Amino acid sequence: MLKNAILTLLSLAMAIGLGGYSVWYALNAQDGVGAIRIGRWTAFPEMGTLAADPYSKARVAREGVLALGQAEGLAFVAERDESGEPLKRECTYSIEGGYPTARFWTLYAADQSLGVIDTGKTRQSALQSYEVLRQPDNSVVITVGNRPAPGNWLLTGGSGKMYFVLTFYDTPIASSTGLSDVTLPRILKAGCNA
Amino acid sequence: MRRLLHALILGLLGAGIVHIVVLFLVPEFSERDAWSRLAMASDLYRMTRLDAEAGGAPVVKSVDPLFYAAACRFDLADGLVRIKAPGDVPFWSASVYDRSGHNIYSFNDHNANGEKLDAVVLTPAQMIDVRRDLPEDLQGAIFVEAPIEEGIFVVRAFVPDESWKPIVSRFLEQSACELQDY
Repeated sequence: MLKNAILTLLSLAMAIGLGGYSVWYALNAQDGVGAIRIGRWTAFPEMGTLAADPYSKARVAREGVLALGQAEGLAFVAERDESGEPLKRECTYSIEGGYPTARFWTLYAADQSLGVIDTGKTRQSALQSYEVLRQPDNSVVITVGNRPAPGNWLLTGGSGKMYFVLTFYDTPIASSTGLSDVTLPRILKAGCNA
Repeated sequence: MRRLLHALILGLLGAGIVHIVVLFLVPEFSERDAWSRLAMASDLYRMTRLDAEAGGAPVVKSVDPLFYAAACRFDLADGLVRIKAPGDVPFWSASVYDRSGHNIYSFNDHNANGEKLDAVVLTPAQMIDVRRDLPEDLQGAIFVEAPIEEGIFVVRAFVPDESWKPIVSRFLEQSACELQDY
């Protein structure tokens, strides 16, 4: 009798514990169903629409996100550099390459919750395409780090995990047909301050 | 031993069921979704700044740091809602969300008449009524037909640099979100 009760309890505890934990884990993972990967960049074009999958619907509800609409823009998030290492706030990176068609884009360094990194300085850790210097072939080289750098400099600071958020506004790539031959800039690690 | 295995398999099956049930219940019972957060910050038909610039923590997160945004909640059961904002900013975009935060419709300044934000959100039934006799002052407005009752309207405006901050702030502060008589 007691053995039966314990076994029933075990089943129930497993069901509730594992079930609840797996949902929590799935909702916190950065990539999920419906993700589009271009190089190291990930985007969720269907996030926040009625066509979205149940996981991103739950994520939208839980985090209170108001996702960008298709006529507004599309955001890409990178959490690793070209060699597959996670991005760190104490390291220096170089983001280089061309950008797809859009009216303009913004790039910022973000913390775990994808909010902009607070460097404690007046300079924001965000750049936008109207203010960047371009190479002769129209590509852009951006240096990311906590030391000033010539050319385009994106300020970061502190230590810990970092994400890059690259958002294109008023862009044809937000409609799914445009995503097939898009290339995004590469993220190369230049060095780290230990 | 066999009974233990039986219990474990049952537990795993149960975990699968709980996973699916919880997943579908999260949107229904979330008290942290955008609508609830906005409801805590302000009333219906009140434009509320979403970015942290206006003081306090941002109401709804993951707003681009180079953007300012404002939102208002509406209920189409009360009538049509009209959103207007004066002035010129480098870029603005607007979205209509339903009660649970799904993006129903979005547009930007290139879609608008003279790049001025003047939009009316209404249900298909109200659209039929309005079409019958279109009021003079609604002629230039963008009509957004949304099959919803409660919803959220969000305006985002681009702040290219420091010098644009007061201008973009004024654009959002002067934006209005009100019930429209017809």
